[in-house]
Amino acid sequence: MLAILAQSPAFWSALTDKFYLNFVKNDRWRYLVDGLGITLEVALCAVILGAAIGFVVAVIRTTHDKHGRLRLLNLLCRVYLTVIRGTPMTVQLLIAYFVIFASSKNGTMVAILAFGFNSGAYVAEIIRAGITSIDDGQMEAARSLGLSYVQGLRAVVLPQAIRNVLPALGNEFIVLLKDTSIASFIALRDLSKGGEIIRSQTYDAFMPFLMVAAIYLVLVMIFTRLLSRLERHLHRTGA
Amino acid sequence: MQTDTNKTDPFLSDRPIVPPGQPLIVVEDLHKSFGALQVLKGISTTIRKGEVVVVIGPSGGGKSTFLRCLNLLEAPTSGRIWFGGEEIASGGSLQRDGSDLRLSHRARERNLNRYRSDMGMVFQRFNLFPHMTVLDNVTMAPRMIRGVSREAAERKAMELLERVGLPDKAKAYPQQLSGGQMQRIAIARALAMEPRVMLFDEPTSALDPEMVGEVLAVMKELAANHMTMVVVTHEMNFAREVADRVLFLEGGNILEEGPPDEFFAHPKFDRTRDFLGKVKDK
Repeated sequence: MLAILAQSPAFWSALTDKFYLNFVKNDRWRYLVDGLGITLEVALCAVILGAAIGFVVAVIRTTHDKHGRLRLLNLLCRVYLTVIRGTPMTVQLLIAYFVIFASSKNGTMVAILAFGFNSGAYVAEIIRAGITSIDDGQMEAARSLGLSYVQGLRAVVLPQAIRNVLPALGNEFIVLLKDTSIASFIALRDLSKGGEIIRSQTYDAFMPFLMVAAIYLVLVMIFTRLLSRLERHLHRTGA
Repeated sequence: MQTDTNKTDPFLSDRPIVPPGQPLIVVEDLHKSFGALQVLKGISTTIRKGEVVVVIGPSGGGKSTFLRCLNLLEAPTSGRIWFGGEEIASGGSLQRDGSDLRLSHRARERNLNRYRSDMGMVFQRFNLFPHMTVLDNVTMAPRMIRGVSREAAERKAMELLERVGLPDKAKAYPQQLSGGQMQRIAIARALAMEPRVMLFDEPTSALDPEMVGEVLAVMKELAANHMTMVVVTHEMNFAREVADRVLFLEGGNILEEGPPDEFFAHPKFDRTRDFLGKVKDK
């Protein structure tokens, strides 16, 4: 069927017409490019925020589990993890925008905070698994040399833990990048919203949404490539 | 006690130097329990500067726990320990991580780290840092704790690698080495802090038989250079040749102790004779 279509000149001219209508006419491509900018801004800022939160939460949780310290902070962390992981991302985003930051008109900032706090919960559990996977002898050796607990974590345990969970962290970033597509719920003009705006103007869903999907796919593929290069590099330098 | 601090060497800690033959570690009525399990039931002994003490005994007798209490990797349940004249543990005042309850948290941590930096420890499973080169393994602690410059630390590390016979492995990663080589690097790493005493926790037990000799040779060289050493081991020949004193630990108590000649020739207890009979071929 498609093969027959592809041979007909009418099919090709219809396709180029649609392309022109959706992306070139009235500079509609700008909706996608501007949307991509917002998507990347939200994803990158959220991943940094999420990594920072995840790091701190993971260290608090493992310190508590191994040494019985930081009981109150550990309790807070557990409430945070339970709430974030137990509710849908979309609902969290809506609550952040319409309840917590109801007075704020800065949708991008609200999205960064919501996605960052959401990602932090998952990153925390990934890093915690990484820390627990490191043999206790590593920290003992560090302490026996006179390093403090924090020095031992920083110089000995965390570098090994992060390396072990790098694939899982990369996966978490990919999930986050794609999750940002729900930012249009709070009227953020991200990449997905860009496609939706074009559709509402041209009444054509096929072209804009396929283009949007293709852009996400290319982003994820580029990131996957970068990540596996980093993994190979780390693998060359040590265990 | 002499208070010559001799702070010209940046690798040395600022602790007073204990003259040879004087008590370096004093242990008094040391108890350690893990929950309901009593592992140490009142150990008292004195380790003198320059002395090589070998601790032997059946597994489960508390040898490793005793050693790990000396640098507070395990917090004693009760009893007292002095190190170089300073009391480092007293009567169950320590938390699970070995820090002292009577002091503020920061002061506790500082003291604990200071004691440990002065006691080198060598583990059965080496515990080298796999994400660092051999050189970084050896230089990390002096640089982080004593603030020694990279150049000075690396110079010193190369001397130590020379001493354990592995100068060509400086740029290698631990997983590229054999067990015997890893253990020699672990000894060099501990020596880099210029410890006052070296604690060995079954240093040859995880090694293939043909690699035991090279590690024991390094330990003998240390002993010959008057390093104070506490060695938990099953190597009876090492005990016979190198030890100044042998401690026989059984059931959480020192059942018997003495100079190796006497200890091995005329054990006082049946239990000791029985144990020595079983490990004789070692």
